[in-house]
Amino acid sequence: MSKKFSLFSVTRLLFDQDAVFNTLADIQLTPISVFLKIALWLGLLPPIFAYFGALEFGWRLGAIEPLYLSSDILLGVSVSYFFALLIGFISTAIVSQWMAGTYGARASLGVHFAFISVVGAPIALASVIHLYPNVFINILVFVLAILWSMFLLYRGLPIVLHTSPERGMLMASSLIGYFLVALVSLLGITVVIWSYGFGPSLGV
Amino acid sequence: MNGLDLHHRLEKNIGLLIFGILFVTSIGGLVQVLPSLYQKSLITPGVNTHVYEPLQLVGRDIYIREGCNTCHSQQIRPLVAEVERYGSYSRADEFVYDRPFLWGSKRTGPDLHRIGGKYSDDWHRLHLINPRDVVPRSIMPSYPWLEKRQANNDDDIVAKLSGLQRLGHPYTQDDINNAPAALEGKSEMDALIAYLQVLGTAYPEGDLSWLIYYSQEICL
Amino acid sequence: MVDPAKILSVEIYSDRIVTTLVMFSIFWAIVGMLAGVYVAAELVWPALNFDNPWISFGRLRTFHTNVVVFGFAVSALMGTAYYSVQRTCHVRLFAPNLAWFTCWAWQIAILLGGLSLLAGFNTSKEYAELEWPFDIAITIVWVCFGIVFFGTIAKRRIREIYISNWFYGALIIVIAMLHIVNNLALPVTLTKSYSLYAGAQDAIVQWWYGHNAVGFLLTGGFLGMMYYFLPKQAERPIWSYRLSIVAFWAFAYSYIWAGPHHLHFNAIPEWVQNLGVVMSLILLAPSWASMVNGIMTVSTAWEKLRTDPALKFIVLALAFYGLATFEGPMMAIKSVNVISHFTDWTIGHVHSGALGWNALITFGTFYFLVPRLVGAKLYSVRLANIHFWMALMGTILYVVAMWGAGVSQGVLWLSLDEIGELRYSFTDIMAAMNPYYLLRFVAGLIFLLGALLMGFNFSMTIIGRRTIAVRPPLVTEALA
Repeated sequence: MSKKFSLFSVTRLLFDQDAVFNTLADIQLTPISVFLKIALWLGLLPPIFAYFGALEFGWRLGAIEPLYLSSDILLGVSVSYFFALLIGFISTAIVSQWMAGTYGARASLGVHFAFISVVGAPIALASVIHLYPNVFINILVFVLAILWSMFLLYRGLPIVLHTSPERGMLMASSLIGYFLVALVSLLGITVVIWSYGFGPSLGV
Repeated sequence: MNGLDLHHRLEKNIGLLIFGILFVTSIGGLVQVLPSLYQKSLITPGVNTHVYEPLQLVGRDIYIREGCNTCHSQQIRPLVAEVERYGSYSRADEFVYDRPFLWGSKRTGPDLHRIGGKYSDDWHRLHLINPRDVVPRSIMPSYPWLEKRQANNDDDIVAKLSGLQRLGHPYTQDDINNAPAALEGKSEMDALIAYLQVLGTAYPEGDLSWLIYYSQEICL
Repeated sequence: MVDPAKILSVEIYSDRIVTTLVMFSIFWAIVGMLAGVYVAAELVWPALNFDNPWISFGRLRTFHTNVVVFGFAVSALMGTAYYSVQRTCHVRLFAPNLAWFTCWAWQIAILLGGLSLLAGFNTSKEYAELEWPFDIAITIVWVCFGIVFFGTIAKRRIREIYISNWFYGALIIVIAMLHIVNNLALPVTLTKSYSLYAGAQDAIVQWWYGHNAVGFLLTGGFLGMMYYFLPKQAERPIWSYRLSIVAFWAFAYSYIWAGPHHLHFNAIPEWVQNLGVVMSLILLAPSWASMVNGIMTVSTAWEKLRTDPALKFIVLALAFYGLATFEGPMMAIKSVNVISHFTDWTIGHVHSGALGWNALITFGTFYFLVPRLVGAKLYSVRLANIHFWMALMGTILYVVAMWGAGVSQGVLWLSLDEIGELRYSFTDIMAAMNPYYLLRFVAGLIFLLGALLMGFNFSMTIIGRRTIAVRPPLVTEALA
């Protein structure tokens, strides 16, 4: 088994996640290399899919006429989406490193970057469903992806970050707390932007 | 004595602790809620705001009994889209005879504040007996039992009107005496429809904004 | 049954009442959640109303909220308050017979009250729907609860009053104040009364009540539970006692102001709404302070997780508490509220708190408490672990489904086309919610099945056993 961590490792999550975790547990990584080799590409997927999906099919918020947005607004939305994901990713990795002290886990930022990339990978890959932006179908696929990510988080954290399963459990739950808050913040920020007139035209 | 010492006393004395809790939790209520209870503009009726007639009052109590307010709000916010969809926005002086208020917190169904006069009595009757007969995709429950019950239930209406009179609603003694007769032969369905038809008809004279925007198809 | 204390003629803790309240709480949890799942199904398949007034949505939904809040949550709080106040004061309950009265009278009030709601006796004021005879009964029981609780503290053998008791104390005092003020009404018949407040004033009073019932019962009361049971299970003192003091007073002071955020853009004075926004935002600080205190306390006691399934629930409950107490202030901001108000987002928010925080922390506490009350091992740790994952999945699914539904409703209701006319009809938007409602029904079902597993687990643990007698520690500090 090669002790390398690359974009290819992500596909191995599908059939042998423990091998990926064991690889990650043994190697040293720098945040920059993880970011450039993996996180950046995973992070680009959702906005790109979202852009083309919305351009082609419009936002389908239910069984009614879809909401079409002009391509420059969509570009703006997609770029903001990318940066939101980027901030979400980096902040989660930093929070994870910050928590590591409390839970006696490995504290090199590189490994946290790598771990969060792996845990987030199912969500990023699931974003292929953005190509057909029906909100309900997207939610269904994303709930499954989130559950898979949570499984990876609980399972992988003690292995990758070298801590006991019990402390891993506590740290994973704290990270879920952070993740949920980040998710709802994204929702809130989006809604504020809408109500200030950017995006769909609302009569407020 | 610093704050921590003070607190050491507090956490050893149950009386002080109870007082402390009462004190800090009262401030908000006194500053924020109490002034509203003395604010005249919140209890002064608008020019077109009238007390509910007996049949309408019975209808309102049925609306409460069946929990209509769990799915329907009665509060149109001053937003362009809401005024277009439902009509002129809601004003405090329209609700001064509402005990309790029925503004609601959830719109599973549409807002009903300006529903009065938008549909015929027959439409409401059909809709309440089986909503899917008139709105095929509706998820509202059916209320067939309303047709089978009498609006006048043990002459409760006299007690209800006298109670409201004591609370300051301008009912006359004649109003109260004639109330049972007004309910004679009416079903609960008639009462509920009478209530729905008077809802939101107290918008100020000359305000036609809701007429300009009003479109039945969109509202539904 | 003969009281063991009388035979032994030594003081023992009144714990049988705790066991009884815990069992009632689980019973109401299952009944209330079943009603919740049923009303969720009614929104997907309206035929399930069966044209029957008693199970028609408007009545059954009210039954659901009242049974879970006042049956499940209050029974749990009463039981855990009685358990912890004795142990933090090293003394038996004051007036145990009065305590038994509160236990049974409360259950009877919930049973009859629940039935009265199904019968259509309803004031329509949210979380205060019970009619005036029940309001009076509740007030009497509540005052007795206060007498037992504060009476126990008054005869304590420990000088300091422990932090959990302040939260339980605030629960008792503030809920009494809110309940009495909000329910002031003129009865006109046995089953009907008219509120003393009308229109906009009634709205302000009602949401002062409604918001703080959530605040001091579902947040404060359960923080009391956390401040006792979390350090107990972790076998560690609370991480920062000073932080808990500051958090308590800041919480008690600022929560009471936040009610008007339920009435944004409604016909109430502007300054009241704006004050509500500001105080809601401030509220985040004390709310999160208690969360940090809990998480840090448990973080050093990780080895307990190996043997104790209960701690997991409490840890996850804190994560959802963090979510709900962040989401609340966020939704109080007017430009978020303009979209979220009146939508299913609110329903999702309530449930991230009710399922994720209240139910999970209660389950965690019960998994700790029940085996200790009857002096036996939990019947199956494996089932408890399965319950944990079902609760987590159910809650996440519920919250995400309601986010989807809520944001869609908010945007679609307000969407205008190029010439400024409404883009979608209400019926179209409502029909589009159908898949979300189906998802929510499934989520609720998963959560309910988890609760049923717990009920089975506890039945097997308790069956054929009695509450064991526990004596207060012999060497205690004299109350100087």
